[in-house]
Amino acid sequence: MNYLTQERRNALAAEYALGTLQGPARVRFQQLMMEHRALRKTVWHWERGLNGLGEALPEQSLRPEVWERIKSRLGMEGRNDGSGNTSDNIVPISSGASRQPSRSWQWLAGLSTAAAIILAVLLVWQPGGITEPESAQQLAVVQNEEAEPLWFIEVVESAIRVRATSQLDPRANRDYELWLVAADGRDPVSLGLLPKRGTGELPRSDLLDQVEVAALAVSLEPLGGSPTGQPTTVLYTAKPVTL
Amino acid sequence: MDEPSNPYLPLLSRTAQGDEGAFAQLYRATSGKLYAVSLQMLHRQDWAEDVVQEAFVRIWHNAGEYQSEKGTVLSWMISIARYRALDMLRAAKSRRETSEEEGPTQEDPHSPEVALYQKRERADIDDCMDLLEGSQRHAIHLAYFLGLTHFEVCNRLASPLGSVKSWIRRGLERLKRCLEP
Repeated sequence: MNYLTQERRNALAAEYALGTLQGPARVRFQQLMMEHRALRKTVWHWERGLNGLGEALPEQSLRPEVWERIKSRLGMEGRNDGSGNTSDNIVPISSGASRQPSRSWQWLAGLSTAAAIILAVLLVWQPGGITEPESAQQLAVVQNEEAEPLWFIEVVESAIRVRATSQLDPRANRDYELWLVAADGRDPVSLGLLPKRGTGELPRSDLLDQVEVAALAVSLEPLGGSPTGQPTTVLYTAKPVTL
Repeated sequence: MDEPSNPYLPLLSRTAQGDEGAFAQLYRATSGKLYAVSLQMLHRQDWAEDVVQEAFVRIWHNAGEYQSEKGTVLSWMISIARYRALDMLRAAKSRRETSEEEGPTQEDPHSPEVALYQKRERADIDDCMDLLEGSQRHAIHLAYFLGLTHFEVCNRLASPLGSVKSWIRRGLERLKRCLEP
């Protein structure tokens, strides 16, 4: 980042937080944020400042359904709001689970969090780690909210190779499942459970060759993977790049 | 940052420990603000509701990652929602380039949500915004509240792209000097 002067760095961070830094420039900046904490801190400075504007907007009432959907997504159904009296021993049948997510998927595919990806892989990837002769056809990086990489995903001829980064702080009592989100709007298709540390290989789904991949998604699941065949809670999305 | 200046910190801290009751209280206290920011940008109730939903799912999972350097809890939460809303705007625009999908009607100045911006309270940052020239302030407001790109701001203000970029850049420079502690 030496080539960025402090002044330039600040200007980019400001326009990133404002939202006017766009397209390839935004992606490049997100890559730099991945690598440089100082840059993230500059962005935080601007978020702190600018969001005073948003905080001053008058509150608007939400329909109660929104909270119900959130609880459903997080598996909190059947409990009250914590004012005592929780019914932890009652396992609700989640009738909402299959009803709710459809709308989210429609735009999930277009997320630019996803777009952050890419060249970063080429920079960060260490050959000889898990990649050997078989060359990657597609690459993706799954990032958290701070634009820190959590998993590197590489699709090769015979498998999907995954490496969990040291940034990942996995939950012991949960698993992370990888999903293919097709552009044709079909339900997400599971690609398997992601490794919580180190490297792993998932079977390569034929679907990867048959549909346009809008995004890869990572969901938080009970140990062993999704009990319903659909993602329980989507945490991250990433857009794979074809090489 | 102490509690009076960061009033939702105790609730977020309990949320990070998995306290669902605290999370529910946090939702009740702050979701109306996140919804207002989203609605102002997207002008569509269904999309804005989706943003709030996605934001709170993330807040539940990432509560432990908050640190006061990121601003107040509310400011951090607004960032999460606002970046989501920006993603949705950009995705909707790129889809509209290839289809006739219905999008947010940003061109409609009579849409009820536009009034949110006019009814906002005065914030600390407004003291700094007051130091900006009118065109600088206006361009930054359009980008912040409506999520407009440089190009869209230039269409909206019927001004050359170069002028708009420079208003925003200089406006932000002046803001920086004012916001610095």
